[in-house]
Amino acid sequence: MATVTLNNVSKSYGTLEVIDNLNLQVEDGTFTVFVGPSGCGKSTLLRMIAGLEPITKGDLVIDGRRVNEADPIERGVAMVFQNYALYPHMTVEQNIGFSLRMAGLEKSDIDARVAIAAQTLQIEPLLKRKPAQLSGGQRQRVAIGRAIVRDPEVFLFDEPLSNLDAELRVSMRVEIAKLHNKLGSTMIYVTHDQTEAMTLADKIVVMRDGKIEQSGSPDDLYDNPDNLFVAGFIGSPRMNFLRADLTATGPRLVAGPTLSMAGLPSQGEVLVGVRPEHFLLGGGDASVAVKVDVVENLGGTRYLYGATISGENVVVEVRDRPGIKAGDTVHVGIDPVRSMIFRATGERLRQGH
Amino acid sequence: MIGRVPNWIVWVVGIIACIWVIPIIGIVVTSVRPPADVTLGWWRLDNIRFTLDAWMRVWDEYPLANAFWTTLWITLIGTGATMLLTPAAAYAFHFLKFPFRRTILVIIINAFVLPVQVVVIPLFQLWRDTGLIDNILAVLIPYVGLSFAWSIFLVKNFMEDFPKELIEAGKIDGCGPLATFWFVVLPNSLSAIFAVGILQFLWCWNSLLLPMLYLRTTIPLPVLLTRVSGTYDLNWDLRSVAAIVTTIVPLFVFLIFQRQFAAGSQTRTGAKE
Repeated sequence: MATVTLNNVSKSYGTLEVIDNLNLQVEDGTFTVFVGPSGCGKSTLLRMIAGLEPITKGDLVIDGRRVNEADPIERGVAMVFQNYALYPHMTVEQNIGFSLRMAGLEKSDIDARVAIAAQTLQIEPLLKRKPAQLSGGQRQRVAIGRAIVRDPEVFLFDEPLSNLDAELRVSMRVEIAKLHNKLGSTMIYVTHDQTEAMTLADKIVVMRDGKIEQSGSPDDLYDNPDNLFVAGFIGSPRMNFLRADLTATGPRLVAGPTLSMAGLPSQGEVLVGVRPEHFLLGGGDASVAVKVDVVENLGGTRYLYGATISGENVVVEVRDRPGIKAGDTVHVGIDPVRSMIFRATGERLRQGH
Repeated sequence: MIGRVPNWIVWVVGIIACIWVIPIIGIVVTSVRPPADVTLGWWRLDNIRFTLDAWMRVWDEYPLANAFWTTLWITLIGTGATMLLTPAAAYAFHFLKFPFRRTILVIIINAFVLPVQVVVIPLFQLWRDTGLIDNILAVLIPYVGLSFAWSIFLVKNFMEDFPKELIEAGKIDGCGPLATFWFVVLPNSLSAIFAVGILQFLWCWNSLLLPMLYLRTTIPLPVLLTRVSGTYDLNWDLRSVAAIVTTIVPLFVFLIFQRQFAAGSQTRTGAKE
């Protein structure tokens, strides 16, 4: 177990800056998820922590020790790759025990530790098989087994569930969460899937263009995003953004009503962010007409996909079964307390500032 | 039916195969018929007698057994060295970073365009000055050295498809460059290495020019073959025997390893393709 600290870390390939002066503290024993669109530098950052990419500038400190130049093994990190990277010519047992063999452990010690890892992941019957004889989910377990057998300070996961089908992805997600509870190790997990981030993380780090947009607990980021990007990225379906102009009493939506909100600047164009579940169906002070194009029925909840009269696409979550069909026009209320105001440049405007 | 080869292709291929086999049949037949009977052609049927006389005589008159062992020895060392050094070089060029990597690679691959004949005289002078004439090193060094051009090219191309994640996984698991090569790259490059091995084996085994020039007492089979046929008498039967002895090993090597030869890349990271 260990804390991982990044101090002013930068990474560039020639003149191309991939990670720009980044500071981050990953606390001991937490599950931290780096999330962001592809190309945001999250995998590069993970690989820098792993020791697979050299760090151009800044310090990487693991467990109080600066490890910029250290080999992966000296850093005490273990990594699970997106495509598993199991050695095809070795059996599962040899795959899991390989790092121990490289560390020069006795055969009996290796066997014992492989057995414990296999038991943890319930892959004992597979130990004599080759990776080619395993299913995707089994391969992923073996890849995780290869990481846990070393008892590392820090676990690194690079999009480990991307190659699995949807159902398996959900069950492996739960298993990884259980594993974290059981081992209590520091885990850093990279994904582009915000659902994985929300469900697994103690702390989410949202990245874009090599910078951290915001970091915090999943609830923090969901309830209180710092900017338009984080607001749009976290949450599924994503937050709705309605165009509005600021007035002295509050933002007046292009789609019609004015939200009464105090403590905001009195002019400028803004976007009002409302999460799909925060619309009040058929009520509220400020209500907007939405023409429904598609109703997506998930059983317990329904999502109404539609557009306002001013042309903004809107998703509304509906809990009960109001019998709304495609083509209907519904009036949804916007609660000023649960709305967030963003400048067109992306920064959030908070009341009273 | 889809995927079924049309009949005429089978026939054409069959006929071509038969034509290819005819010289081999000729050599075998010539080796077991008295020379007098085959002067007008081994296919003549006017006087059919069989004898193993040539098979007995050639062993007595020429050091065939010695030459066989010499050839085998030189070929095994030459092939083994290439099979070990080539993947190491290809790995270094492909996965490691060192100064002048590109330049060195270009120089090595460019040896491709250099025919063996060009280096024969400078090499001869070098071996003469270093006292390596009539030492098998005089042929082994150029065998291995000259093979690098095509073999590194071949193995390096194979490694273009080698999953980078396996190398990285090796690194995470605590392998240095050598351990990564030995435990991760080598076992997963066997098909390419065997392809190189077979080609190199045939090349070493059949090589004539270099051993003829640099070796005196310990000579391999192709050189001996020229000595057998170099005499004035009509000894087609002896030449046939020597030719059979010379070709039999490469033939078996090819038959045994043809599967390896044709095998594709076995390297999979374990991801679903």
